Amino acid sequence: MINTLAQIDHVASAGRTPWHRASALSKLLLASGLVLLAVFAPSLRLLAGLYATAWALALSARLPWRLTLAASGYPLAFTLLFLLARWDGTAGTPLRLLLRPLTASLAAVWLVGTTPYPDLFAPISRVLPRSVGDGLFLTYRALFELMGRTSGLWRALRLRGGASGPARRRLTLAGEGFATMVLYGFERSQRLYATMLLRGHSGRICGCRHWAEWSRADLLVAATALVVTAGAVLLWRTP
Amino acid sequence: MSHLHIPDGVLPPLLWIPGLLLALLLLGLSALAARGASRQQVAYQGALGALMLAVMAVEVPLGPLEYHLSLLGPVGVLLGPAATFQVVFVANAILALVGHGGLTVVGLNALVLGAGGALARPVYGLIARRAGAPGAMVGATIVAQAVSGALWLLVVGVGLRAGAAGTARLGLFAGIAFPMWIVGIGIESVVAFGVARFLARVRPDLLPGGGPMAEETP
Repeated sequence: MINTLAQIDHVASAGRTPWHRASALSKLLLASGLVLLAVFAPSLRLLAGLYATAWALALSARLPWRLTLAASGYPLAFTLLFLLARWDGTAGTPLRLLLRPLTASLAAVWLVGTTPYPDLFAPISRVLPRSVGDGLFLTYRALFELMGRTSGLWRALRLRGGASGPARRRLTLAGEGFATMVLYGFERSQRLYATMLLRGHSGRICGCRHWAEWSRADLLVAATALVVTAGAVLLWRTP
Repeated sequence: MSHLHIPDGVLPPLLWIPGLLLALLLLGLSALAARGASRQQVAYQGALGALMLAVMAVEVPLGPLEYHLSLLGPVGVLLGPAATFQVVFVANAILALVGHGGLTVVGLNALVLGAGGALARPVYGLIARRAGAPGAMVGATIVAQAVSGALWLLVVGVGLRAGAAGTARLGLFAGIAFPMWIVGIGIESVVAFGVARFLARVRPDLLPGGGPMAEETP
Protein backbone atom coordinates (compact mmCIF):
# COMPACT_ATOMS: atom_id res chain seq x y z
CA MET A 1 0.00 0.00 0.00
CA ILE A 2 2.68 2.50 1.06
CA ASN A 3 4.88 1.65 -1.92
CA THR A 4 1.94 2.37 -4.19
CA LEU A 5 1.33 5.63 -2.38
CA ALA A 6 5.02 6.58 -2.67
CA GLN A 7 5.01 5.91 -6.42
CA ILE A 8 1.81 7.88 -6.94
CA ASP A 9 3.26 10.73 -4.87
CA HIS A 10 6.34 10.79 -7.11
CA VAL A 11 4.28 10.74 -10.31
CA ALA A 12 2.12 13.59 -8.99
CA SER A 13 5.15 15.82 -8.49
CA ALA A 14 7.18 14.75 -11.53
CA GLY A 15 4.39 14.68 -14.15
CA ARG A 16 4.30 17.36 -16.86
CA THR A 17 0.94 16.78 -18.56
CA PRO A 18 -1.86 19.40 -18.77
CA TRP A 19 -3.64 17.50 -16.00
CA HIS A 20 -0.66 18.12 -13.73
CA ARG A 21 -0.76 21.83 -14.58
CA ALA A 22 -4.48 22.21 -13.88
CA SER A 23 -5.53 23.57 -10.49
CA ALA A 24 -6.17 21.18 -7.64
CA LEU A 25 -9.64 22.59 -7.05
CA SER A 26 -10.92 21.90 -10.56
CA LYS A 27 -9.51 18.37 -10.51
CA LEU A 28 -10.99 17.78 -7.08
CA LEU A 29 -14.41 18.84 -8.35
CA LEU A 30 -14.14 16.66 -11.46
CA ALA A 31 -13.00 13.62 -9.48
CA SER A 32 -15.76 14.14 -6.89
CA GLY A 33 -18.31 14.36 -9.69
CA LEU A 34 -17.03 11.14 -11.22
CA VAL A 35 -17.18 9.34 -7.87
CA LEU A 36 -20.72 10.53 -7.12
CA LEU A 37 -21.92 9.67 -10.61
CA ALA A 38 -20.36 6.22 -10.32
CA VAL A 39 -22.06 5.64 -6.97
CA PHE A 40 -25.53 6.80 -8.01
CA ALA A 41 -25.71 5.98 -11.74
CA PRO A 42 -28.39 3.34 -12.41
CA SER A 43 -27.39 2.73 -16.03
CA LEU A 44 -24.84 0.11 -16.98
CA ARG A 45 -23.95 2.01 -20.16
CA LEU A 46 -23.31 5.17 -18.19
CA LEU A 47 -21.15 3.27 -15.72
CA ALA A 48 -19.15 1.75 -18.57
CA GLY A 49 -18.74 5.22 -20.08
CA LEU A 50 -17.57 6.65 -16.76
CA TYR A 51 -15.07 3.82 -16.31
CA ALA A 52 -13.72 4.42 -19.83
CA THR A 53 -13.48 8.14 -19.07
CA ALA A 54 -11.56 7.48 -15.86
CA TRP A 55 -9.10 5.26 -17.76
CA ALA A 56 -8.72 7.93 -20.44
CA LEU A 57 -7.93 10.47 -17.73
CA ALA A 58 -5.36 8.19 -16.08
CA LEU A 59 -3.63 7.22 -19.33
CA SER A 60 -3.58 10.75 -20.72
CA ALA A 61 -1.98 11.85 -17.44
CA ARG A 62 0.75 9.30 -18.23
CA LEU A 63 0.27 7.46 -14.98
CA PRO A 64 2.10 4.11 -15.25
CA TRP A 65 -0.62 1.63 -16.22
CA ARG A 66 0.60 -1.10 -13.89
CA LEU A 67 0.61 1.28 -10.95
CA THR A 68 -2.82 2.57 -11.93
CA LEU A 69 -4.16 -0.96 -12.29
CA ALA A 70 -2.72 -1.99 -8.91
CA ALA A 71 -4.02 1.06 -7.05
CA SER A 72 -7.43 1.23 -8.68
CA GLY A 73 -7.95 -2.53 -8.60
CA TYR A 74 -7.69 -2.75 -4.84
CA PRO A 75 -11.48 -2.63 -4.24
CA LEU A 76 -11.89 -5.84 -6.28
CA ALA A 77 -11.24 -8.16 -3.34
CA PHE A 78 -13.87 -6.68 -1.08
CA THR A 79 -16.34 -6.15 -3.93
CA LEU A 80 -16.26 -9.90 -4.61
CA LEU A 81 -17.79 -10.49 -1.17
CA PHE A 82 -20.71 -8.23 -2.00
CA LEU A 83 -20.90 -9.66 -5.49
CA LEU A 84 -21.40 -13.17 -4.10
CA ALA A 85 -23.92 -11.95 -1.57
CA ARG A 86 -26.01 -10.12 -4.15
CA TRP A 87 -25.75 -12.65 -6.96
CA ASP A 88 -29.14 -12.76 -8.69
CA GLY A 89 -28.28 -14.74 -11.79
CA THR A 90 -28.10 -11.71 -14.08
CA ALA A 91 -25.00 -10.10 -15.57
CA GLY A 92 -26.17 -6.55 -14.84
CA THR A 93 -25.98 -6.65 -11.05
CA PRO A 94 -22.39 -7.93 -10.76
CA LEU A 95 -21.24 -5.60 -13.54
CA ARG A 96 -22.74 -2.61 -11.76
CA LEU A 97 -21.19 -3.74 -8.47
CA LEU A 98 -17.79 -4.03 -10.14
CA LEU A 99 -17.87 -0.84 -12.22
CA ARG A 100 -18.93 1.47 -9.39
CA PRO A 101 -15.95 0.96 -7.05
CA LEU A 102 -13.47 0.54 -9.91
CA THR A 103 -14.52 3.85 -11.49
CA ALA A 104 -14.45 5.65 -8.15
CA SER A 105 -11.02 4.35 -7.18
CA LEU A 106 -9.62 5.09 -10.66
CA ALA A 107 -10.88 8.68 -10.41
CA ALA A 108 -9.21 8.98 -6.99
CA VAL A 109 -5.94 7.58 -8.34
CA TRP A 110 -6.04 10.04 -11.26
CA LEU A 111 -6.59 12.89 -8.79
CA VAL A 112 -3.73 11.97 -6.44
CA GLY A 113 -1.50 10.98 -9.37
CA THR A 114 -1.76 14.44 -10.95
CA THR A 115 -1.85 16.63 -7.83
CA PRO A 116 1.04 17.07 -5.38
CA TYR A 117 -0.19 16.57 -1.83
CA PRO A 118 0.18 20.19 -0.59
CA ASP A 119 -2.08 21.33 -3.47
CA LEU A 120 -4.53 18.50 -2.89
CA PHE A 121 -4.79 18.90 0.87
CA ALA A 122 -5.00 22.72 0.77
CA PRO A 123 -8.66 22.94 -0.39
CA ILE A 124 -9.68 19.92 1.71
CA SER A 125 -8.11 21.37 4.86
CA ARG A 126 -10.08 24.58 4.40
CA VAL A 127 -13.38 22.82 4.94
CA LEU A 128 -12.12 20.81 7.92
CA PRO A 129 -11.52 22.00 11.50
CA ARG A 130 -8.05 23.51 11.85
CA SER A 131 -6.52 20.71 13.90
CA VAL A 132 -7.83 18.10 11.44
CA GLY A 133 -6.64 20.06 8.39
CA ASP A 134 -3.19 20.46 9.93
CA GLY A 135 -3.25 16.79 10.89
CA LEU A 136 -3.74 15.87 7.24
CA PHE A 137 -0.51 17.62 6.24
CA LEU A 138 1.48 16.46 9.26
CA THR A 139 0.36 12.84 9.00
CA TYR A 140 1.25 12.66 5.32
CA ARG A 141 4.62 14.31 5.93
CA ALA A 142 5.47 11.83 8.67
CA LEU A 143 4.13 8.81 6.83
CA PHE A 144 7.01 7.89 4.54
CA GLU A 145 9.62 8.45 7.24
CA LEU A 146 7.78 6.30 9.77
CA MET A 147 7.05 3.69 7.12
CA GLY A 148 10.76 3.40 6.40
CA ARG A 149 11.54 3.06 10.09
CA THR A 150 8.79 0.51 10.65
CA SER A 151 10.02 -1.53 7.72
CA GLY A 152 13.57 -1.43 9.10
CA LEU A 153 12.33 -2.39 12.56
CA TRP A 154 10.41 -5.35 11.17
CA ARG A 155 13.49 -6.53 9.27
CA ALA A 156 15.70 -6.15 12.35
CA LEU A 157 13.22 -8.13 14.44
CA ARG A 158 13.33 -10.99 11.95
CA LEU A 159 17.14 -10.95 11.66
CA ARG A 160 17.64 -10.95 15.43
CA GLY A 161 15.30 -13.84 16.13
CA GLY A 162 12.21 -11.81 16.84
CA ALA A 163 10.26 -13.84 14.32
CA SER A 164 10.89 -17.17 16.05
CA GLY A 165 9.47 -18.64 19.22
CA PRO A 166 5.92 -18.62 20.53
CA ALA A 167 3.47 -16.16 19.00
CA ARG A 168 3.01 -14.34 22.31
CA ARG A 169 6.73 -13.60 22.59
CA ARG A 170 6.98 -12.50 18.95
CA LEU A 171 4.01 -10.16 19.20
CA THR A 172 5.17 -8.68 22.51
CA LEU A 173 8.57 -7.95 20.95
CA ALA A 174 6.86 -6.37 17.96
CA GLY A 175 4.83 -4.24 20.37
CA GLU A 176 8.00 -3.08 22.13
CA GLY A 177 9.43 -2.23 18.72
CA PHE A 178 6.37 -0.17 17.86
CA ALA A 179 6.72 1.60 21.22
CA THR A 180 10.10 2.87 20.03
CA MET A 181 8.21 4.33 17.06
CA VAL A 182 5.86 6.08 19.50
CA LEU A 183 8.90 7.59 21.22
CA TYR A 184 10.34 8.61 17.88
CA GLY A 185 7.00 10.16 16.91
CA PHE A 186 6.94 12.15 20.15
CA GLU A 187 10.48 13.43 19.71
CA ARG A 188 9.79 14.19 16.06
CA SER A 189 6.76 16.26 17.04
CA GLN A 190 8.93 18.32 19.40
CA ARG A 191 11.48 18.97 16.65
CA LEU A 192 8.78 19.78 14.12
CA TYR A 193 7.09 22.17 16.52
CA ALA A 194 10.38 23.98 17.10
CA THR A 195 10.96 24.18 13.34
CA MET A 196 7.46 25.53 12.76
CA LEU A 197 8.03 28.24 15.36
CA LEU A 198 11.38 29.16 13.81
CA ARG A 199 9.78 29.48 10.39
CA GLY A 200 7.13 31.86 11.70
CA HIS A 201 4.22 29.43 11.93
CA SER A 202 1.05 31.53 12.02
CA GLY A 203 -1.24 29.01 13.66
CA ARG A 204 -2.42 27.16 10.58
CA ILE A 205 -0.74 25.10 7.90
CA CYS A 206 -2.15 26.52 4.68
CA GLY A 207 -0.46 24.35 2.06
CA CYS A 208 0.60 26.05 -1.13
CA ARG A 209 -1.31 28.87 -2.75
CA HIS A 210 -1.57 27.27 -6.20
CA TRP A 211 -4.56 25.08 -5.48
CA ALA A 212 -7.05 27.61 -6.89
CA GLU A 213 -4.87 29.33 -9.47
CA TRP A 214 -6.60 28.84 -12.79
CA SER A 215 -4.62 28.20 -15.96
CA ARG A 216 -5.33 27.13 -19.53
CA ALA A 217 -5.09 23.54 -18.43
CA ASP A 218 -8.25 24.07 -16.38
CA LEU A 219 -10.16 24.49 -19.64
CA LEU A 220 -9.39 20.84 -20.34
CA VAL A 221 -10.80 19.89 -16.95
CA ALA A 222 -13.90 22.00 -17.61
CA ALA A 223 -14.35 20.45 -21.07
CA THR A 224 -14.08 16.97 -19.60
CA ALA A 225 -16.63 17.87 -16.94
CA LEU A 226 -18.99 19.10 -19.66
CA VAL A 227 -18.60 15.90 -21.67
CA VAL A 228 -19.17 13.77 -18.56
CA THR A 229 -22.26 15.79 -17.61
CA ALA A 230 -23.69 15.53 -21.13
CA GLY A 231 -23.02 11.79 -21.19
CA ALA A 232 -24.66 11.36 -17.80
CA VAL A 233 -27.81 13.22 -18.93
CA LEU A 234 -28.02 11.22 -22.16
CA LEU A 235 -27.35 7.79 -20.66
CA TRP A 236 -28.97 8.08 -17.22
CA ARG A 237 -32.21 6.32 -18.21
CA THR A 238 -30.66 3.73 -20.52
CA PRO A 239 -30.32 0.12 -19.31
CA MET B 1 -10.89 -6.60 10.53
CA SER B 2 -9.88 -3.33 12.09
CA HIS B 3 -10.19 -1.31 8.93
CA LEU B 4 -13.29 -1.19 6.80
CA HIS B 5 -12.04 -1.68 3.25
CA ILE B 6 -15.49 -1.27 1.77
CA PRO B 7 -15.19 0.47 -1.59
CA ASP B 8 -17.47 3.11 -3.06
CA GLY B 9 -20.76 2.07 -4.54
CA VAL B 10 -21.48 -1.17 -2.70
CA LEU B 11 -23.16 0.21 0.41
CA PRO B 12 -26.59 1.85 0.12
CA PRO B 13 -26.59 5.67 0.36
CA LEU B 14 -28.95 5.36 3.34
CA LEU B 15 -26.02 3.88 5.22
CA TRP B 16 -23.02 5.92 4.11
CA ILE B 17 -24.62 9.39 3.88
CA PRO B 18 -25.74 9.47 7.55
CA GLY B 19 -22.38 7.91 8.45
CA LEU B 20 -20.52 10.69 6.68
CA LEU B 21 -22.69 13.41 8.24
CA LEU B 22 -22.34 11.94 11.73
CA ALA B 23 -18.57 11.64 11.32
CA LEU B 24 -18.32 15.29 10.22
CA LEU B 25 -20.43 16.35 13.19
CA LEU B 26 -18.23 14.39 15.59
CA LEU B 27 -15.17 15.81 13.89
CA GLY B 28 -16.44 19.33 14.60
CA LEU B 29 -17.19 18.41 18.21
CA SER B 30 -13.78 16.81 18.65
CA ALA B 31 -12.16 19.96 17.29
CA LEU B 32 -14.11 22.00 19.85
CA ALA B 33 -13.05 19.63 22.62
CA ALA B 34 -9.41 19.85 21.56
CA ARG B 35 -9.33 23.58 20.77
CA GLY B 36 -6.83 24.22 23.55
CA ALA B 37 -4.39 21.70 22.12
CA SER B 38 -0.86 22.95 21.48
CA ARG B 39 0.70 22.87 18.02
CA GLN B 40 3.08 20.23 19.34
CA GLN B 41 0.13 18.05 20.22
CA VAL B 42 -1.19 18.34 16.67
CA ALA B 43 2.26 17.32 15.40
CA TYR B 44 2.23 14.37 17.82
CA GLN B 45 -1.21 13.37 16.53
CA GLY B 46 0.17 13.50 13.00
CA ALA B 47 3.08 11.26 13.96
CA LEU B 48 0.80 8.69 15.61
CA GLY B 49 -1.59 8.82 12.66
CA ALA B 50 1.34 8.11 10.36
CA LEU B 51 2.41 5.29 12.67
CA MET B 52 -1.09 3.76 12.41
CA LEU B 53 -0.85 3.86 8.63
CA ALA B 54 2.68 2.48 8.62
CA VAL B 55 1.73 -0.35 10.95
CA MET B 56 -1.29 -1.19 8.77
CA ALA B 57 1.19 -2.07 6.04
CA VAL B 58 2.91 -4.63 8.30
CA GLU B 59 1.64 -8.12 7.58
CA VAL B 60 1.37 -10.56 10.47
CA PRO B 61 1.06 -14.11 9.09
CA LEU B 62 -2.17 -15.73 10.24
CA GLY B 63 -2.17 -19.19 8.70
CA PRO B 64 -3.14 -18.81 5.05
CA LEU B 65 -4.17 -15.17 5.64
CA GLU B 66 -2.32 -12.06 6.72
CA TYR B 67 -3.42 -9.77 9.51
CA HIS B 68 -2.85 -6.03 9.29
CA LEU B 69 -2.36 -4.34 12.64
CA SER B 70 -3.93 -0.99 13.50
CA LEU B 71 -2.58 -0.07 16.99
CA LEU B 72 -6.04 1.38 17.67
CA GLY B 73 -5.88 0.64 21.40
CA PRO B 74 -2.46 2.18 22.12
CA VAL B 75 -3.16 5.24 19.97
CA GLY B 76 -6.53 5.69 21.70
CA VAL B 77 -4.89 5.48 25.13
CA LEU B 78 -2.03 7.85 24.22
CA LEU B 79 -4.18 10.53 22.57
CA GLY B 80 -7.59 10.39 24.24
CA PRO B 81 -11.03 10.25 22.57
CA ALA B 82 -11.20 13.57 20.68
CA ALA B 83 -7.71 13.47 19.20
CA THR B 84 -8.03 9.78 18.37
CA PHE B 85 -11.17 10.43 16.33
CA GLN B 86 -9.37 13.13 14.38
CA VAL B 87 -6.35 10.90 13.77
CA VAL B 88 -8.57 8.03 12.62
CA PHE B 89 -10.48 10.31 10.23
CA VAL B 90 -7.27 11.64 8.69
CA ALA B 91 -5.78 8.14 8.35
CA ASN B 92 -8.92 6.91 6.61
CA ALA B 93 -9.02 9.91 4.29
CA ILE B 94 -5.43 9.27 3.19
CA LEU B 95 -6.17 5.57 2.68
CA ALA B 96 -9.26 6.40 0.63
CA LEU B 97 -7.24 8.60 -1.71
CA VAL B 98 -5.26 5.54 -2.81
CA GLY B 99 -8.30 3.31 -3.17
CA HIS B 100 -8.11 1.61 0.24
CA GLY B 101 -11.71 2.07 1.29
CA GLY B 102 -13.98 4.32 -0.69
CA LEU B 103 -14.08 8.10 -0.50
CA THR B 104 -17.79 8.02 0.30
CA VAL B 105 -17.15 5.54 3.12
CA VAL B 106 -14.58 7.68 4.93
CA GLY B 107 -17.24 8.71 7.46
CA LEU B 108 -18.30 5.14 8.25
CA ASN B 109 -14.67 4.07 8.47
CA ALA B 110 -13.91 6.87 10.90
CA LEU B 111 -16.95 5.99 13.00
CA VAL B 112 -16.08 2.29 13.12
CA LEU B 113 -12.46 2.80 14.15
CA GLY B 114 -13.06 6.01 16.07
CA ALA B 115 -15.74 4.52 18.33
CA GLY B 116 -13.34 1.86 19.55
CA GLY B 117 -10.41 4.24 19.82
CA ALA B 118 -12.45 6.78 21.79
CA LEU B 119 -13.18 4.18 24.47
CA ALA B 120 -9.57 3.15 24.93
CA ARG B 121 -8.41 5.88 27.32
CA PRO B 122 -11.45 5.78 29.66
CA VAL B 123 -11.10 2.00 29.92
CA TYR B 124 -7.36 2.37 30.52
CA GLY B 125 -8.08 4.85 33.30
CA LEU B 126 -10.46 2.43 34.98
CA ILE B 127 -8.03 -0.47 34.96
CA ALA B 128 -4.62 1.18 35.33
CA ARG B 129 -4.59 1.50 39.12
CA ARG B 130 -5.29 -2.17 39.67
CA ALA B 131 -3.57 -3.84 36.75
CA GLY B 132 -0.69 -1.47 35.93
CA ALA B 133 0.03 0.08 32.56
CA PRO B 134 0.52 -3.10 30.46
CA GLY B 135 -2.59 -4.78 31.86
CA ALA B 136 -4.67 -1.64 31.42
CA MET B 137 -3.41 -1.25 27.85
CA VAL B 138 -4.48 -4.83 27.12
CA GLY B 139 -7.94 -4.16 28.58
CA ALA B 140 -8.29 -0.92 26.62
CA THR B 141 -7.22 -2.64 23.41
CA ILE B 142 -9.65 -5.53 23.91
CA VAL B 143 -12.53 -3.08 24.35
CA ALA B 144 -11.42 -0.86 21.44
CA GLN B 145 -10.98 -3.75 19.05
CA ALA B 146 -14.16 -5.50 20.20
CA VAL B 147 -16.27 -2.38 19.67
CA SER B 148 -14.68 -1.56 16.31
CA GLY B 149 -14.99 -5.16 15.14
CA ALA B 150 -18.63 -5.36 16.23
CA LEU B 151 -19.44 -2.15 14.35
CA TRP B 152 -17.54 -3.47 11.32
CA LEU B 153 -19.61 -6.65 11.33
CA LEU B 154 -22.78 -4.61 11.79
CA VAL B 155 -22.05 -2.28 8.85
CA VAL B 156 -21.07 -5.10 6.51
CA GLY B 157 -24.07 -7.17 7.66
CA VAL B 158 -26.47 -4.29 7.01
CA GLY B 159 -24.78 -3.70 3.65
CA LEU B 160 -25.24 -7.33 2.69
CA ARG B 161 -28.85 -7.40 3.85
CA ALA B 162 -29.56 -4.24 1.88
CA GLY B 163 -28.47 -6.22 -1.14
CA ALA B 164 -31.06 -8.86 -0.30
CA ALA B 165 -28.45 -11.44 0.59
CA GLY B 166 -29.90 -14.68 1.85
CA THR B 167 -29.57 -15.71 5.48
CA ALA B 168 -27.24 -18.54 4.46
CA ARG B 169 -24.85 -16.06 2.82
CA LEU B 170 -24.91 -13.83 5.87
CA GLY B 171 -24.23 -16.87 8.03
CA LEU B 172 -21.29 -17.84 5.84
CA PHE B 173 -19.89 -14.32 6.09
CA ALA B 174 -20.29 -14.30 9.87
CA GLY B 175 -18.67 -17.74 10.05
CA ILE B 176 -15.56 -16.42 8.33
CA ALA B 177 -15.42 -12.99 9.92
CA PHE B 178 -16.17 -13.87 13.56
CA PRO B 179 -13.12 -16.09 14.18
CA MET B 180 -10.88 -13.51 12.47
CA TRP B 181 -12.31 -10.84 14.73
CA ILE B 182 -11.48 -12.86 17.85
CA VAL B 183 -7.97 -13.68 16.62
CA GLY B 184 -7.46 -10.00 15.70
CA ILE B 185 -8.39 -8.91 19.22
CA GLY B 186 -5.84 -11.38 20.59
CA ILE B 187 -3.03 -10.20 18.30
CA GLU B 188 -3.66 -6.51 18.91
CA SER B 189 -3.84 -7.06 22.68
CA VAL B 190 -0.48 -8.82 22.90
CA VAL B 191 1.15 -6.14 20.71
CA ALA B 192 -0.44 -3.45 22.92
CA PHE B 193 0.98 -5.22 25.98
CA GLY B 194 4.46 -4.86 24.47
CA VAL B 195 3.88 -1.19 23.66
CA ALA B 196 2.75 -0.38 27.22
CA ARG B 197 5.46 -2.48 28.88
CA PHE B 198 8.17 -0.62 26.96
CA LEU B 199 6.67 2.84 27.50
CA ALA B 200 6.09 2.16 31.22
CA ARG B 201 9.80 1.37 31.58
CA VAL B 202 11.27 4.04 29.32
CA ARG B 203 8.84 6.99 29.17
CA PRO B 204 6.00 6.44 31.65
CA ASP B 205 5.14 10.12 31.34
CA LEU B 206 3.72 9.45 27.85
CA LEU B 207 1.06 7.18 29.34
CA PRO B 208 -2.02 8.75 30.94
CA GLY B 209 -1.30 9.41 34.62
CA GLY B 210 2.14 7.95 34.09
CA GLY B 211 4.29 10.43 35.94
CA PRO B 212 5.12 13.98 36.80
CA MET B 213 5.64 14.95 33.15
CA ALA B 214 2.24 13.70 32.09
CA GLU B 215 0.73 17.17 32.18
CA GLU B 216 3.38 18.50 29.81
CA THR B 217 3.10 15.76 27.26
CA PRO B 218 0.74 16.07 24.36
